[in-house]
Amino acid sequence: MIFEKRTERIFLAIFFTIALCIPLFLEANSFFVGKVTTILILAVFVMSLDFLVGRVGLVTLGHALFYGLGGYLFVILTPEYEAVNFWVYAFYILGLNALIALVIGAVVLRTSGIYFIMITLAISQMAYYYFFDSLEFGGNDGLFIFMKPETSIFGLSFLNLDNPTHFYYLALLAVLVTLLAIKVILRSRFGRIVEASRLNPERTEALGYNIFAFRLISYVIGSTLAAYAGLLFALQYGYVNPQFMTWEMSGTALVMAILGGMGTIYGAILGTITYEGLLYLFEHMTQDWMLLMGSAIILMVLLLRKGLAGYLEKLLEK
Amino acid sequence: MANDIILETESLSKHWGGIKALNNISLQFHDRQLHGVVGPNGAGKSTLLNMLCGTLQPTSGCIFHKGEQIEGMKPWKFVRRGIGRSFQKTNIYADVTCLENCAVAAQRRFTGSFNLFASRHSNKLVREAAEKALHQVGLESRIHTIAAEISYGEQRQLELAMVLATDPCILLLDEPMAGMGHEESQRIIELLNELKQSYCIVLVEHDMDAIFELSDQLTVLDNGTHLITGTVDEVRNEPLVKEAYLGKEDDEEEAA
Amino acid sequence: MSTELFFVQLINGLQYGLLLFLIASGLTLVFGVMGILNLAHGSMYMVGAYLVWYFVAVTGSFTASAILSAVIALGLGILIERVLIQRLYNRNHLDQVLLTIGMIFVFNSLQSILWGNDPYGVAVPEALSGAVPFTDNSSYPVYRIFAALICVAIAAALYFLVSRTRLGMLIRAGESNREMVEALGVNIKSLYTIVFAIGVMLAAISGIIAAPMRSIVPGMGESVLITCFVVVVVGGMGSIKGAFVGALLVGVISTFAAVLMPTMSNMIIYIFMILVLLVKPQGLFAK
Repeated sequence: MIFEKRTERIFLAIFFTIALCIPLFLEANSFFVGKVTTILILAVFVMSLDFLVGRVGLVTLGHALFYGLGGYLFVILTPEYEAVNFWVYAFYILGLNALIALVIGAVVLRTSGIYFIMITLAISQMAYYYFFDSLEFGGNDGLFIFMKPETSIFGLSFLNLDNPTHFYYLALLAVLVTLLAIKVILRSRFGRIVEASRLNPERTEALGYNIFAFRLISYVIGSTLAAYAGLLFALQYGYVNPQFMTWEMSGTALVMAILGGMGTIYGAILGTITYEGLLYLFEHMTQDWMLLMGSAIILMVLLLRKGLAGYLEKLLEK
Repeated sequence: MANDIILETESLSKHWGGIKALNNISLQFHDRQLHGVVGPNGAGKSTLLNMLCGTLQPTSGCIFHKGEQIEGMKPWKFVRRGIGRSFQKTNIYADVTCLENCAVAAQRRFTGSFNLFASRHSNKLVREAAEKALHQVGLESRIHTIAAEISYGEQRQLELAMVLATDPCILLLDEPMAGMGHEESQRIIELLNELKQSYCIVLVEHDMDAIFELSDQLTVLDNGTHLITGTVDEVRNEPLVKEAYLGKEDDEEEAA
Repeated sequence: MSTELFFVQLINGLQYGLLLFLIASGLTLVFGVMGILNLAHGSMYMVGAYLVWYFVAVTGSFTASAILSAVIALGLGILIERVLIQRLYNRNHLDQVLLTIGMIFVFNSLQSILWGNDPYGVAVPEALSGAVPFTDNSSYPVYRIFAALICVAIAAALYFLVSRTRLGMLIRAGESNREMVEALGVNIKSLYTIVFAIGVMLAAISGIIAAPMRSIVPGMGESVLITCFVVVVVGGMGSIKGAFVGALLVGVISTFAAVLMPTMSNMIIYIFMILVLLVKPQGLFAK
């Protein structure tokens, strides 16, 4: 069983049951389906961050770089007025993104601790300003996707990306695949050494493991998952712009992950839903929603020691 | 005997600014022998061990393993050559079980650690090696206990078990018995006596009785310099050593 | 670039660097002593600027407003430390990050509620409103020279405080060894409160000094925060000397970049920081 905790199993069972049914109830309201789709895509992004920060021990404040890259690479590399195959191009783009992550990772992993936070922040800020100041990539306005890709596999087409409900299930599938992928990796032999490197890097090296290599591979995996989330987000809204890459984006994702319970992975889903839910609620209550959001965050830090997942586990375990 | 030198240092030095933590040390460590290293606090014992396992870069001098020069390599490459070490300060994975602690140590020997899919629990050889190491140090009753929850003495045993689980040919042990009860240390002494039949062991230890009992060769360091290396009797009869270190303790002088 | 332009830019860069130092010094002090990365530090800079704007509008006196704002900031620092930060000393760093991000939300929102979202400006005090002739056809504003001198004075005072006073001794001891400070019979809690409040006040003073030179706009805190990160990382986290050198380097480099390569000017300080970290992974003045 890759889901070790009871709380985890209960939460995921409830989550997937509701998530599968949502379009059935909201079919008529495509705005809400779209809104929930966005939350699912964000959850993929936050899970990938939770994996890196909570499980590998790499606290990055530049994760949004790859979220943005996923979108930009797609728009830049696909022909403008031709519907390409989604799966083929997703494969190319994630491969390319993984290569970029490999190079960036090899650089940033030379530092550690607070310096790692800062160098990842610096690199994502660099990329942000690069796209912000670039004329060929649309500057601050970004780039638009004029043709949604088609999604046939071996000539069989069952997903239409222009249909909000279809897109919704594509995002839900991404959540499931990301969750399973991270859980399998964490349980694997590779995951054992990754865990050991986080708990005690000095000892792990003294047992004969090159922890740099383990961290680098993890960094590439986390970044690639983030890029997939970014690609989906760009496809949902039909554009990509530098706002994908701001440090506020990285920071918000970090807030969601900590709120959910760092390192629990399922907590990332919980944190994303809670954060987005509160945001939606507050935005509709008052113009000064930031005051409520900020106070809610402060309160939750003070009251919840291990995030929402930690709180649920306290209620449900044993 | 001289031809089975497995590890050797040549004019090894470590300077911190102007302070000479270790100066011009040339030593030879033989296979199937236990080589004790003693000296007062600050003599440079831990510095020597840290350089022998690659975590500390020497300021000058060389280290040879089976005739090959190895200083300057990454610490994990030292381990892959079969040089395993235990730490003076207990250095374990506190949040996981004792078995898992040793499994991390053993895994590298049996299976690819870059396997992203196969479950960490699915390799029988890893599990058996980990269990064996725990048995060797006498922790068989603690296999499934979280490492943070066992006693300090037991954590010292676990520390040793983790080194054994890497199956090294050279064991660098930094005060393995510090903090253990009498019964536990007796067990470790027995274990070391048995292990030195097949390994090269470098032992830094404050427990003089234990080190006299165990050592085939004994090196005395003082203030970063090499005083003498010889058999236990040779060292005990060396007047320099008595002056610098052992002479302070009357009963040992009588014992010699 | 003519010699004249070069010198004007150099002075501009140094002056900007000095201001950066003033903001960054509080950030690095708090991190060095308390181990807390205060992401809301930029908000304190914003608070200083808005407070002085508000009081100038009410009283008309820049000096009185500046002093009043700095004192209020000090009080605010004590309040934040006592009510919020103190509860998180035994938590991990990520919780502190989360708390200070929450504080950014709150401060930005309070700014918008209290003062709205229009940009404001503070008039340069009359006594300092002139310009010093530089060459025949260029001159330099007196206020900017005054601002630079104030920054130098505060830097000197900070140096004196840390290296020569009893409080400074405790700060230096607290960086390396909490137990030792407590063994000296000092209440580490009060020490932390004082250090945090000084950090907040330094950020607010920077905002006060910057107010007559820059427009006071929502979000001014965040952009300056990220630049300060670059400064303290280049200098070495926790090192005040490092922050000083880092700030001058960043100030001069970004000023020249804006003139020489405008399309890359935003990126240049990040490239600089990455290069520094590749050569010295702990910054220039790592401990």
